[in-house]
Amino acid sequence: METTGESRRPTGLLLVAIPVLLMAWLIIWPIFSAIGRTIWRPDAEGVPGFTLSSYVFFFSDQYSINNLLVTLWTTGMCALLLLVICLPIALYLRFSSGRMPAYVQALAIFPMFVPSIILAYAFIRVLGPNGMVDILLNAVGLPKIRTPYLTPWGPVIGLVWDNIPLTVLILLSGLGNVANHAIEAARDVGANRLQVFWHIVLPRISNSVLVAISFAVLGIFSSFTLPYLLGPASPEMMGPFMNRTFREVNDPLNAITQAVITFCFCIAFGLFYVRSVARNQGK
Amino acid sequence: MQRFVPAIFGPPKVESRPPLDWTGIIFTALLSAVVVLPLLVVGTWAFTEVWRYPNVVPQQFGLRFWNQTLTRPDVWGALTLSLQLSTVVTLLSAVICLPAAYAFARLDFPGRNILFFSFLAGHAFPKFGLLIAIAAIFLQLNLIGTFWGVVLIQLVGTLLFMIWIPVAAFQSVDRRMEEAARDVGAGPLRVFWSVTLPQAGPTIAAAVLLSFVGTFYETEGAWLIGAPGIRTMPVLMISFINNQMVIQYGAVLSVMLWVPSFIALMFARRVIGGGAFARGFGG
Repeated sequence: METTGESRRPTGLLLVAIPVLLMAWLIIWPIFSAIGRTIWRPDAEGVPGFTLSSYVFFFSDQYSINNLLVTLWTTGMCALLLLVICLPIALYLRFSSGRMPAYVQALAIFPMFVPSIILAYAFIRVLGPNGMVDILLNAVGLPKIRTPYLTPWGPVIGLVWDNIPLTVLILLSGLGNVANHAIEAARDVGANRLQVFWHIVLPRISNSVLVAISFAVLGIFSSFTLPYLLGPASPEMMGPFMNRTFREVNDPLNAITQAVITFCFCIAFGLFYVRSVARNQGK
Repeated sequence: MQRFVPAIFGPPKVESRPPLDWTGIIFTALLSAVVVLPLLVVGTWAFTEVWRYPNVVPQQFGLRFWNQTLTRPDVWGALTLSLQLSTVVTLLSAVICLPAAYAFARLDFPGRNILFFSFLAGHAFPKFGLLIAIAAIFLQLNLIGTFWGVVLIQLVGTLLFMIWIPVAAFQSVDRRMEEAARDVGAGPLRVFWSVTLPQAGPTIAAAVLLSFVGTFYETEGAWLIGAPGIRTMPVLMISFINNQMVIQYGAVLSVMLWVPSFIALMFARRVIGGGAFARGFGG
């Protein structure tokens, strides 16, 4: 960031005080409070002390573990599918010209403007039982599909759809750093497309790929709306699981424990994401 | 089809007709099927009175369900509440964030960089886990199920956008024009009003609009913090989807709700289209 020639005066601090305090109160403090309240609390006799019993319960409870496993599976599957789908789109957008790429880009970014609640509804009408896909298959005399609605694949499809725009944008921004002359030089010495991609393009965008994955993982790991509406009731992903523990079982302690566990699983992605954004902004 | 190809590929070049962009055609076809088709199905359902499986086309079109949906008191209640919430949150956010953005862009004060990047903290943790941690604190403060509880949670969600996008806008203002205005005797307020604001205004307006629309569709905070007292539009949609009421209610609401999102799409194109947006996400 540029700095002005003015002296360092605290006027700026006053102007930024309210948002900063709000963030400290509603983001930083709840995180520390959540950790504190789960490891330092009264025991059976009411004497406060260090305990990990709620974490021990989580990792010894088969139901909780199943929920964690299905969350990990969904997140991994989404990250994989997002790369497989978005990398070709981004490569195409970067290396072609004309009006066709503009259409493709508009279509790929479109889901950003569809709220996930409308997406969930559309998913049920298209892929649900007797949905549009069934109607079309029936019209050409084919059997119905086994609907992904209320199976673990439901959230995967919905979450991938939802995350395509940002993944494409982040990858595309990374591909902007790949110089045309580097590719032309490789072509001149006889490299084919795959070699160009593997040796020239991929090393230059590896950081963007990691950022895209981090961003997707952070969003998907504790997503709520799509798994809640499209996924199975059991095992459920961490988002609906925490929601149910907090609201229906009315057990804040175990809900916070689950939240801290999701923090721990995502911490590496979160730190990497923050570092990349900060480095980019600093440029 | 063949005749239309040149028109799709832009103005005809002198040397020869460009080769068919098969990759682009395939991407367009696939993305259209995956992105546009589901939304078309929802749109069709909204104007359908009778559509029995397995007919490909509805038996009877009509506006009967628009009338039924719009006369439901819970729909009006939710719509009014959502509009109130979005207005309050966006106004509050603008009042506290825009001065802060100006300070971050133009003033020098102790801890500026740390505080600026600290707003990323909210995005470095899985969102629903964070919401659970906040909800545990709101539980002690009796903010669960209240209007202001939801305002606070949604306000925090707008901070990053409402600070980072306007900061970029203020930084891109041509400083020489401001200096020129000052040289001919304009006061600081006058310079801000006549030079800075007109240049930064459109981007800031886009940020304000994005935060309004984002708040309107915000589902998870409203669901977790607001229930049972606060039923916003997306929360109402969830209950329509879960309780499998008349299919058309959800479709009509989707179409109705999607309109503001579409307007945002048109206005925000300049913000989204720029590489700056993806860079903001660390790409």
